[in-house]
Amino acid sequence: MTLWFLRGLRRGVVTTRYPARPDASAAALPTPPAFRPEALTRALADRLAAACPSRALARDGDALVFDVGACTACGRCLAEAPGAATSSGEFELAATLPAHLVKRIPLLAGGGAAAPATEGGSP
Amino acid sequence: MTAVRAGAAALPGLLSQLGRDAADDARPVITVAVPAASLEDAVRRLAAHPGARLADVFAAGGGPAAGRDAAAAGPVVLRLVWGLDADRGYLITESEIEGERYPALSDIAPAAFYEECEIYEQFGIRPGGGKPLNRVALPPQAATTPGQAPPRLGRAPVEPPGDVHALHHVGGHAFEFPFGPVRQVGVESLYYGLVTSGEEVVDLYLFTWHKHRGVEWRLQGRTPREALFQVERTEGLGAVGNAWAFAVAAEAALGLEPPAPAARARAVALELERLYNHAAATAALCQSTGLVIGQAAAEIALERLLRVNAAAFGHRYLFGVVDIGGAAAGPDAAVLRRDLPGAYGELCRAADALLATNSFLDRLEATGILTQEAARRLGLVGPVARASGVATDTRVDHPGPPYAGLPPAVAAATAGDVLARFRVMLAESAESVRLIGDLLDAGAGPGRAEPVGTEPGGSQPRGETREARGGPARAGMAARSGLGWAESSRGEALAWVALDDTGRITRARLRPASVRNWRGFDDACRSQNVFTDIPIIEASFWLTVAGTSR
Repeated sequence: MTLWFLRGLRRGVVTTRYPARPDASAAALPTPPAFRPEALTRALADRLAAACPSRALARDGDALVFDVGACTACGRCLAEAPGAATSSGEFELAATLPAHLVKRIPLLAGGGAAAPATEGGSP
Repeated sequence: MTAVRAGAAALPGLLSQLGRDAADDARPVITVAVPAASLEDAVRRLAAHPGARLADVFAAGGGPAAGRDAAAAGPVVLRLVWGLDADRGYLITESEIEGERYPALSDIAPAAFYEECEIYEQFGIRPGGGKPLNRVALPPQAATTPGQAPPRLGRAPVEPPGDVHALHHVGGHAFEFPFGPVRQVGVESLYYGLVTSGEEVVDLYLFTWHKHRGVEWRLQGRTPREALFQVERTEGLGAVGNAWAFAVAAEAALGLEPPAPAARARAVALELERLYNHAAATAALCQSTGLVIGQAAAEIALERLLRVNAAAFGHRYLFGVVDIGGAAAGPDAAVLRRDLPGAYGELCRAADALLATNSFLDRLEATGILTQEAARRLGLVGPVARASGVATDTRVDHPGPPYAGLPPAVAAATAGDVLARFRVMLAESAESVRLIGDLLDAGAGPGRAEPVGTEPGGSQPRGETREARGGPARAGMAARSGLGWAESSRGEALAWVALDDTGRITRARLRPASVRNWRGFDDACRSQNVFTDIPIIEASFWLTVAGTSR
């Protein structure tokens, strides 16, 4: 403990650098999706929202609302829209406010009328 | 898997038939309709049948209208699932209960008491005899929160269940020491009612309802594939075992048989799950005995095993591997062959050092003894039962693909103490590593059964049913049900699923191994143990509260 205290005094910091080194195993972890706005239509956004089991996705007008805090990185949206969603590779999601975890992604591909609710929607 | 429906009169003939079917690897599941008036007699016969154990008891609403509108459904149907281990089959009795009473099953099969309490809370029917029942699932505030209906599967009981153990007494110099439900960091919510005269544990009872999430209630109305998401999360440390049992149940209902490589992929994931859980239990044993160096060594092994999981399957806790009809992900065989020996070697080094540390072994030996008689009486499963001389293992007793061709050696002991459970876990870990090698040699990969009715080359992707894509499974298909099981790291996981004619779930029963084994925990704690033995016993059981409070 004394050594850590003296080390902190000498360097002016009491914590270690983070990460000490890149974690090679992180590449194998599932991570929340990243969406390509130019590939998103309203219909596709509705399908993505229906496919999301943790209700992290919803469509609000011409935006896809993505609550990263509710995402479990299950990968269902990647399977539903491989051209519009990719794995972000980002798993460190700390934020000072929950609202900072909610993203609004514009639906730049427009078009596509809102799809009717699918039968597979959550009850 | 074959399912037969018959009446109670056919019971003796069916029991002898089971053994013959099992010889053909038919994995028989027999369903017998037993009138409520004959239920007591049937339970006595089955309880006396050699190798039979009551594996689960659950209820459902009487018809397709059951579920969230269960109050409008017909009579409650009581189902008893019997594991006929000697005959390598399962038998389900179905009894329609008119009125609010049924024969007291726990008077004949004591293992049924927990489920009698659960069924009373969920469906409002109770066993005869007027014995007091405990609160086991819904918290007291569930029924009184304004504007919030409790996640109940059927109608509410007339009188709310009690909040204390029915047979619990405090007298003489004993006093009650409440502990929980909030415990130390990272440990699940659980309330111990400890009765003690100072240091010795006189009695112990548990409240597990603080964590109840109504998972079975939430699965109603979903397709099996939608439901799989919640099933995997019912008990995070048992994701593969529970998902596999649920998938087998859904596959039985849908008539699907997974491709052989996919079945082997599931088994690789299941054995990896067993490995990391046993490593975690080893670390917990070290923590509970204050052996921080041993704990660090075991946690290094645990972390390496979790990283192997992530590299091999893409998820540290192996979520997303099991699929309805097969496996959504296959193992990276090269990664497993390269990294698993090192990670397992880490566990072996920690275990070897622990087995040579007398101060550790002294705390484990003769602690938390569970007798063979108690393990049988309470219907315990997994390493807890095997360490008490009940060598039941569904991979051997009820083998399905791929274990029918790759039977594991079942590790067992007779002492029934914490040390016996630790040794059983270590032996099972070695066997899991051997099995993974054999499974990889045979070929393991993703794949899904081709559902009936999908046109080859049609517009639907290979292996996708309309059900899988969120629509009905098959228009006009008959309502069906199925039973599934898997040998999770904690023992036999069971699931039963009923689907309506659109392929949606009307009732899903999940019975993780934790549900069975918690009922043996208080017996083990009472066997001349002191306060400080309780964390050691809990680590050796390595159960989850989430699994029982689902």
